[in-house]
Amino acid sequence: MNRALILFIWLLFCLHCSCGSNGSSEKRVEVVKKLQTANDNIRQERNDLGLGLDKLSEYGFFEIPMKKLIPVGDVLPYDLNTPLFSDYAYKARFIKFPEGAKAMYDQKEVLDFPVGTILIKNFYYPKDFNQPDGERQIVETRLLLNNDNVWQALNYIWNDEQTEAYLEVTGGTVDISWKHTDGLIKNVAYSIPNLNQCKNCHAYNNAIRPIGPSARQLNRQYNYANEGHNQLSFMSDQGYLEGLPQMEAVPKLASWISSDQRIADRARAYLDVNCGSCHRPEGSGNTSGLFLHYHEQDMAAFGVGKAPIAAGRGSGGFKYDIWPGHPEESILLYRMKSLDPGVMMPEMGRKLVHEEGITLIEEWIRNMGD
Amino acid sequence: MMRAFITLATTMMVVILGSCGTDYEVSTSEPPQGSIQDIEKDLQSELILANDGDTIDLPAGVFGFTRSILLEGKSNILLRGAGMDKTILSFRNQEEGAEGMRVSNGTNIVLADFTIQDAKGDNIKTNDINGISFINIKSEWTGEPDETNGAYSLYPVMCKNVLIDGCVAIGASDAGIYVGQSTNVIVRNSEAYNNVAGIEIENTVRADVYNNSAHDNTGGILVFDLPGLSQLGQQTRVFSNNVYRNNYTNFAPEGNIVGAVPPGTGVMILASKDVEIFNNEIIDNKTGSIALISYLFVEATSEPVEEDESRDLSMAGNIAAYKADKSYDPYPSGISIHGNKISNGYSFPTFENDIGYLLLFKFWANGPEILFDGITDPKLGDTPDMTSILCLKDNGEAAFANLDAFNDFANVSQNKQPHDCTMQPLPEVILGENLIANE
Repeated sequence: MNRALILFIWLLFCLHCSCGSNGSSEKRVEVVKKLQTANDNIRQERNDLGLGLDKLSEYGFFEIPMKKLIPVGDVLPYDLNTPLFSDYAYKARFIKFPEGAKAMYDQKEVLDFPVGTILIKNFYYPKDFNQPDGERQIVETRLLLNNDNVWQALNYIWNDEQTEAYLEVTGGTVDISWKHTDGLIKNVAYSIPNLNQCKNCHAYNNAIRPIGPSARQLNRQYNYANEGHNQLSFMSDQGYLEGLPQMEAVPKLASWISSDQRIADRARAYLDVNCGSCHRPEGSGNTSGLFLHYHEQDMAAFGVGKAPIAAGRGSGGFKYDIWPGHPEESILLYRMKSLDPGVMMPEMGRKLVHEEGITLIEEWIRNMGD
Repeated sequence: MMRAFITLATTMMVVILGSCGTDYEVSTSEPPQGSIQDIEKDLQSELILANDGDTIDLPAGVFGFTRSILLEGKSNILLRGAGMDKTILSFRNQEEGAEGMRVSNGTNIVLADFTIQDAKGDNIKTNDINGISFINIKSEWTGEPDETNGAYSLYPVMCKNVLIDGCVAIGASDAGIYVGQSTNVIVRNSEAYNNVAGIEIENTVRADVYNNSAHDNTGGILVFDLPGLSQLGQQTRVFSNNVYRNNYTNFAPEGNIVGAVPPGTGVMILASKDVEIFNNEIIDNKTGSIALISYLFVEATSEPVEEDESRDLSMAGNIAAYKADKSYDPYPSGISIHGNKISNGYSFPTFENDIGYLLLFKFWANGPEILFDGITDPKLGDTPDMTSILCLKDNGEAAFANLDAFNDFANVSQNKQPHDCTMQPLPEVILGENLIANE
């Protein structure tokens, strides 16, 4: 009995083998890649990595159930004028201030947050983008912790059950699908970064630093418990921010998506956020000599008529990063449109092409010569 | 590990007058067969959690990766395999990341004894490291050289105290061994072939390039200084190298500066200061054994020929780029070429590039081995003292030409006399020295 079974399995195995070695590749049954869920990226054994708390719930940022992301009293929500594109993921952002401490206002860069501050960013996908407050999947929560003025990046992956998020260092891939605003289903093999990838974008003169919460990004309205306030004035009024000047003197970054703002301002905002964290003299893209951050004034350094330095095939056969009037021959746009890891920009953090961002930059470059 | 090396002799394009023969060789290797193991997450995790002083050993075998391997913010780390061709890191199936391996922001990092293959971008990029060594590493793109190959095989940039020793670089669509914007560099005992540029030293301060073999590339060894970067280059010694048969077709994607390098270039110096080229064997590089050019020459020759609107932008853009960089000087100076053994068994230069046609037109089948574009700083007047710009001494029978490129090649001169001089030998590069002065 047992023997027959073994023989049978053996036969099956041989059949399988011969199929594999003789059969032409067309005949081979296509192997359907197993969908990866969040749980596939969470270590079973929870040994202490010596980096930080093992579970997100241990910080106590949110009320229970945690998946509603309702902050407890001293955790402040915020939003940005122009966010980074991350494969269409939504982001719920919060700041946890240490008790009694304040951030210092900064006119140009990210606010100077006090020691003990934790920036919290939750990445999630609503099932239906037309109902962003409906059912959703939270994929990861990224933290930046100010430990004695040295920022540390940590990343927590949410389980499939959405009950807890766990500290992981190597990131992973989660297959996500959602109904997009146009009603079509979109899929992405969403990439959760490993901790070293975090540093790629957050490096400022080689040290980790927050990117988002600068005065120009925070200068906008936010609905706090059904009451609208400017985020910076609110923070100042609540005693979280020191040194805020008159609001007229505070810079404001354009919203990349707002059609009533100048296209050049929207494009500069988009490039500042999506490119400028690396492409600035202090960032990890500084080897290129291409600087796309908000403060760059030299149009040659900004890419206009600039030949690439070490782009390799990233040039796409084109001569200039930005050729006014010619989006189709501008390297910058070519790289935004690519999904090839050796060509695409940003070089990480996306698996999809940002169609709406490309439309904006295309229009901007086309009209530049006018 | 079973690895098949197939050497293919590729016959050259049939050239007018039937000057037949092979003018380069292609050695392709196949991607590894057999089982590919997955250590991706374990290795990445180990690198993230590594402590100062750790040694991380990679076992023998073939390992496949889907993301870049990143080592960041560490000191005194040795990452070593079981040997070149024994430990193979394959990025054929890479889905994410602009390089195979990236090492950044650290001190004293040693990478040794492995093979790395087929990254979608650069194979190994290291930036902002003080003390980075590449020892006995083979870095290659398998299969025929192709413009879809990554740009750089071994790519230290913005590093200090760089050692590349006993490495092999194959198939890069830009440069095999490329050192950019770095200080205190030694590249030695290494081999680069079937790349567009074999070895390239760019905007680098103090580099010694010796005992290498650069062959069957488009250009063998390049020393370049470009505008608009974090630092300007200075002081490079290229000596005791074997630079031969660099006649490979230029397969760089357009828009890259090395795309301007004509096939058949042995050694090329672009706008660099203080370069000493001596005791090399520079053989059978059909277009130019040693070429010395200014940045103006690259600009002029890389412009589109047609008078279209792109021309205006091309000039405006490039001129804007280096005019904006006030510290940039587009003219080479302090170039000393002596004691090299130079010969070229080929009659004709390349026909893939306008420079080839120009040389053919001017010299027919007697193209000179040492070429100088002759473009000098206008501040020095019409007949500048060449002894501070270019000295030639004891290079055997090698012929020379000043191409007078500034005047559309009107007064080409083969007179070596203005260059009959010697310069003070450049000092040896000692790693670890001069760090404080540069901080």
